[in-house]
Amino acid sequence: MLSDITLGQYYPGNSVIHHLDPRTKILGTLLFIIAIFMATNTAGYIFLCVFVMAVILASRLPVGMVFRSLKPLAFIIILTMALHFFMGEGEQVLFEWKFLRITQEGLAMGIKMSLRLVLLLLISSVLTFTTSPIVLTDGIESLLNPFKRIGVPAHELAMMMTIALRFIPTLIEETDRIIKAQTARGADFSSGNLLQKAKNMLPVLIPLFISAFRRADELAIAMEARCYRGGEGRTRMHELAYTKVDVGAFVLIVVVMAIMAALRWWPL
Amino acid sequence: MQPLIELQDLTHAYTDAENNQVLALQKLNLQIEQGEFLAVIGANGCGKSTLAKHLNALLLPTGGKCLVNGMDTQDESHLWDIRQTVGMVFQNPDNQIVAAVVEEDVAFGLENIGVPHAEIRPRVETALKAVDMSAYALHAPHLLSGGQKQRVAIAGVVALEPRCIVMDEPTAMLDPLGRKEIMATVKKLQREKQITFVYITHYMNEAMQADRVIVMDHGQIVMQGKPAEVFSRVAELQTLHLEAPLAATVAADLRHAGLSLPRDIITNEELAAALCR
Ligand SMILES: Nc1ncnc2c1ncn2[C@@H]1O[C@H](COP(=O)(O)OP(=O)(O)OP(=O)(O)O)[C@@H](O)[C@H]1O
Ligand SMILES: [Mg+2]
Repeated sequence: MLSDITLGQYYPGNSVIHHLDPRTKILGTLLFIIAIFMATNTAGYIFLCVFVMAVILASRLPVGMVFRSLKPLAFIIILTMALHFFMGEGEQVLFEWKFLRITQEGLAMGIKMSLRLVLLLLISSVLTFTTSPIVLTDGIESLLNPFKRIGVPAHELAMMMTIALRFIPTLIEETDRIIKAQTARGADFSSGNLLQKAKNMLPVLIPLFISAFRRADELAIAMEARCYRGGEGRTRMHELAYTKVDVGAFVLIVVVMAIMAALRWWPL
Repeated sequence: MQPLIELQDLTHAYTDAENNQVLALQKLNLQIEQGEFLAVIGANGCGKSTLAKHLNALLLPTGGKCLVNGMDTQDESHLWDIRQTVGMVFQNPDNQIVAAVVEEDVAFGLENIGVPHAEIRPRVETALKAVDMSAYALHAPHLLSGGQKQRVAIAGVVALEPRCIVMDEPTAMLDPLGRKEIMATVKKLQREKQITFVYITHYMNEAMQADRVIVMDHGQIVMQGKPAEVFSRVAELQTLHLEAPLAATVAADLRHAGLSLPRDIITNEELAAALCR
């Protein structure tokens, strides 16, 4: 049951997007999110949708899979839309019944807001689908490196993410095992109210925490035995390097932002 | 030739939660030769793990000396040299693998000691090949069998090209097949790369395959010698709560009953051969 949870939804492939440097993808995603919030008019939104579709196609990921990544957040998207539909202020009333009132402005706002969310989710899932978690971690470390001087622990954060990625499947397996063991001893995890259920989880959480601490302790010793001494003087097997394609990607994203700015301030 | 590791009156006292001193090693003297396969056995709590942790300066002596390749483990300036000379493999394979991809994990130690980027990949590949795990370079460790995980852990140490690998009950959590894999890997590395092994185990049939066995009790070495010499001393092993191999026990019983058998029978084959004569 718990093993269904997939982490780091990496989908290996050979597309241009897969081969971009992770830093390019992370920065590009951030810039594109800014571009999303620059959109105000229909032309802007259409342009953004076309661009996201083009990126998805270029990544050669199964389109259905990318869209399915919206599912966990579908509720929030629909809620956003509904709230704007029914709460939106506006002059042109389209529909009125008792306290419900839908205006044209509210309708437009609802669609725009949820579209922003959808675009944001799609572009970030392209990032995680096309970048292996380890490469992503490396990218984050490298991007945070300049901030070391102001006290950002770039290497430590990246190492924490690496270890978390390594151990989450192990801990999930272990949780599964403990649940089964406690069920065999007659524990009941499915009945009772929320408080009752939370209380029933204690016999799972306590052994899990104890074992996690023991693991952490042993891992620390094993890392030390393998000459780990922090980020200083460390080399990498996978070195990050920008290529011409990365430069092209940056130019492209700047052009996208320029177009969005133009559409915003000088509408057609 | 100078021994690879030399322990002189090595003593270690832990301070436990109630501030009591627990003497885990008492004036232990031992020389470990270049290229040998040394098995360490002894009852629970006799100080085997404590001894192991001294060999690459994870613990420092509270008395006496531990010299690795002539370097004193107390000397802070040799710390990383010592850890590169003596690698360590622990009992639980899950808790010593750091990265989510096998080859990344094998590279971990090399990255730590700052091996140039271009040299890392070839060394990782050589190490994976040495433990027969090349085919799994891109796998996720949590999906491997126990024996395979443990071999990945060994590869991570082998990549550092150590002179000696200390293994603390590496097979304790493995099934019989996994145990065989590890034993075969150890012997192969000893033969092909002349790596010295210090192998702590509770399995007598593993210790029997070593070049030399030391038996510990209460922080001291109480018996040592070739496996045949140590394991044929059935009665002494029993007083130390260790079980001699079946063949040795049977041979001792038969000898007791008046049969004249050679003293150094420890394997079933040797026993059969002696009886058929
Ligand atoms: N951190 C510690 N603090 C206090 N006492 C300790 C500590 N670690 C070990 N000891 C004690 O030191 C003694 C030797 O422990 P050690 O772990 O070396 O034994 P061992 O031979 O490896 O046992 P096992 O076969 O169970 O692994 C034991 O009596 C143990 O209780
Ligand atoms: Mg031990």
